[in-house]
Amino acid sequence: MPYSELIKSFDKIRGYMRQFYVFGFKRREEYDAKSLRSYDNERRRVESWLGDYMSFRQNETGKQVFLSVDSRTIRHNPLYKAFKAKSFTDNDLILHCYLLDLLSDGTAHSAHQLIEGVAELLGKFPKLKLLDDSTIRKKLREYESLGLITSEKQGRELFYRLPPCSADLASWKEAVEFFAEEDPLGVIGSYLLDRTEEGGEVFGFKHHYILHALDGEILLSALDAIGSHRRICLTNVSLRSGNPKKHYAYPLKIYVSAQSGRQYLLCWHDGLRRMQFFRMDAITKIELAEPEPEPDRFADSYARFRKNLWGVSGGRYHTMDHVEMDVWVEDDEWYIPQRLERERRYGHVEQIDAHTWRFTADVYDSSEMLPWLRTFIGRIVRLEFSNPMVRRRWRDDLRALVRAYGEGGDNDAVQ
Amino acid sequence: MLFSEVYSCYFRTVETILTEAVKGGLTEQRLTELVREKAFAESVLTIPSNLKDGTWPLLTEDLKTPLRSVPQMPLTLLEKRWLKALLQDPRIRLFSPSEAGLEDIEPLYAPDTFVYFDQYNDGDPYDDPDYIAHFQTILQALREKRKLRITFTGARGKRNTWVFVPYKLEYSVKDDKFRLLTAQTYYGTVNLGRIEACELLDHYSPKAFHLPQVKMDTLVIELTDERNALERAMVHFSHFEKETERIDGDRYRVTLRYSREDETELVIRLLSFGPVLKVLSPQTMVDELRKRIQRQRWLSSKPGQAEIQSNRVKE
Repeated sequence: MPYSELIKSFDKIRGYMRQFYVFGFKRREEYDAKSLRSYDNERRRVESWLGDYMSFRQNETGKQVFLSVDSRTIRHNPLYKAFKAKSFTDNDLILHCYLLDLLSDGTAHSAHQLIEGVAELLGKFPKLKLLDDSTIRKKLREYESLGLITSEKQGRELFYRLPPCSADLASWKEAVEFFAEEDPLGVIGSYLLDRTEEGGEVFGFKHHYILHALDGEILLSALDAIGSHRRICLTNVSLRSGNPKKHYAYPLKIYVSAQSGRQYLLCWHDGLRRMQFFRMDAITKIELAEPEPEPDRFADSYARFRKNLWGVSGGRYHTMDHVEMDVWVEDDEWYIPQRLERERRYGHVEQIDAHTWRFTADVYDSSEMLPWLRTFIGRIVRLEFSNPMVRRRWRDDLRALVRAYGEGGDNDAVQ
Repeated sequence: MLFSEVYSCYFRTVETILTEAVKGGLTEQRLTELVREKAFAESVLTIPSNLKDGTWPLLTEDLKTPLRSVPQMPLTLLEKRWLKALLQDPRIRLFSPSEAGLEDIEPLYAPDTFVYFDQYNDGDPYDDPDYIAHFQTILQALREKRKLRITFTGARGKRNTWVFVPYKLEYSVKDDKFRLLTAQTYYGTVNLGRIEACELLDHYSPKAFHLPQVKMDTLVIELTDERNALERAMVHFSHFEKETERIDGDRYRVTLRYSREDETELVIRLLSFGPVLKVLSPQTMVDELRKRIQRQRWLSSKPGQAEIQSNRVKE
């Protein structure tokens, strides 16, 4: 097939765009493509959609392509463009324009009348063949399922019309501009903005992670299953081995990291008989299965489960780790207790004496806390882990940091 | 269905072209301009020719259209369901959109479906009527290019009243807060949650004000890919403009551009990665990290001695 900047399926480009955006150091030969031509086509497409953000680097090892975006300065998530590159047939576009035009008078039209109307419009282009009735009827059914048109039976015939009343999009403009960037399915807001006049540059976004946009289709399937209380069969690709594996589960929540943009699907896992998180970007497919007969039966166990979650790890056997950290605070460092208080999640913060604040938490997996605890390096006067493996990891990492930043080298005094 | 041609850039571009054709006066030059403006870089090779040669029988040879009305696609069910879901978000009160037309629509998701597990827990009060009023006044000022007189409490508790030229409302999902960015060099940013009063003033000419230049610095880090550190760091820092090179084996050099005002925040974010990530430059940041690590080493080796330590860490 000849090259086109449009694509039929999103799966392949999802992987390429992620590689270009997140990593961006791989050479052409390193991509997991079936052929170099496949890589060339995908790279050319992304360049056509996102040329302003594409960069190249040439060195002795070859040419590397990467996407680089300072998301604080952009107005719209550029990755949404990939969702607007769906391929279509000539008939798809012709019928889109003709049918919506024929229905634009606001009255109901029978399928027969619409077929005649399409023929009349096509008749103005004498060299063209007429379309099959079945093609037009199929498009009518498709548009009805999308909500673009409605149908009603009059006698034995179906009549179609545009939906009687639509939302007042003008009153939504600023809300849509904001949520198009902030909502996990903001691409839908971007679709709406494409149909309105460009607004002023009112909003900016800090700590703005945009990569999740590429998982939109998977997220939508998950939301569909959660909303309709359906069980699912999801295909998850191992990030280490790259092997796909099917899991049968009941989806409950979407966990989102505000500090990395990553999204996770929290499920009750049928095989493991426990709560399990799946990274959304590792899920390649979600198939809806049978309805869950008692959806409320998971509410209590979820309420208990969430109280001891630091992040998205339920630990191996749901045993509990205890963590205690004492932080030293100078007289004018009011912002440190404030930080502890606002970042503590389900932990507890108390003042021990004039200069010491204590943070305590009982969590399933205290290794998840290490990155946050490290942010207090330089202030920690006491740190205790009930989990000896995590204690060792903390000690080893601190020693390695001391080595990395010089002066003193390895020192057993680091506890 | 999220990935559908009805949302495609080609459909929107053709609709824009047909809108001009229905109104009359579409020219070949304008057709090409619209494609360049609305579609992808290579679309100019496809859309104009398909419209002109009758592959898409929507324009006649004289660039008129047989369509009777300006193309206007109604909202899809998915779009309506998304809007309905937004009505349940506490932040929607800041905008007060019309709920008309969405009465019988099922929201796309329930409000408690998403859990932002690491979001700070002192976010802005979106249900406070004063906060909502301040937000809407600021929005109006931004829309109408008007100055604002704002009374607010500073970070150290001091009350201030200043006249500002506003230029952007910035939201951080991590902080769950809005900040007003202004053209002032002093107190250039005001947290909306700290505003006590906000008054609309007269119009200003955008040409009369220069936006403060953000001072950017370059950070160079060396990263060792242990415990999936490469992927974690690349995702964590993905919102910066950055470039990554493989040095050898599992070692990488990452160069990223950051705003100088965010240096302290960046220091603690770098610390959170531990030893898999080493800062090479700027030297000020290397020194700051070294200072904190040495102090920690000292605290860890002499428990209870913190009060006599004078080498304080600022953040």
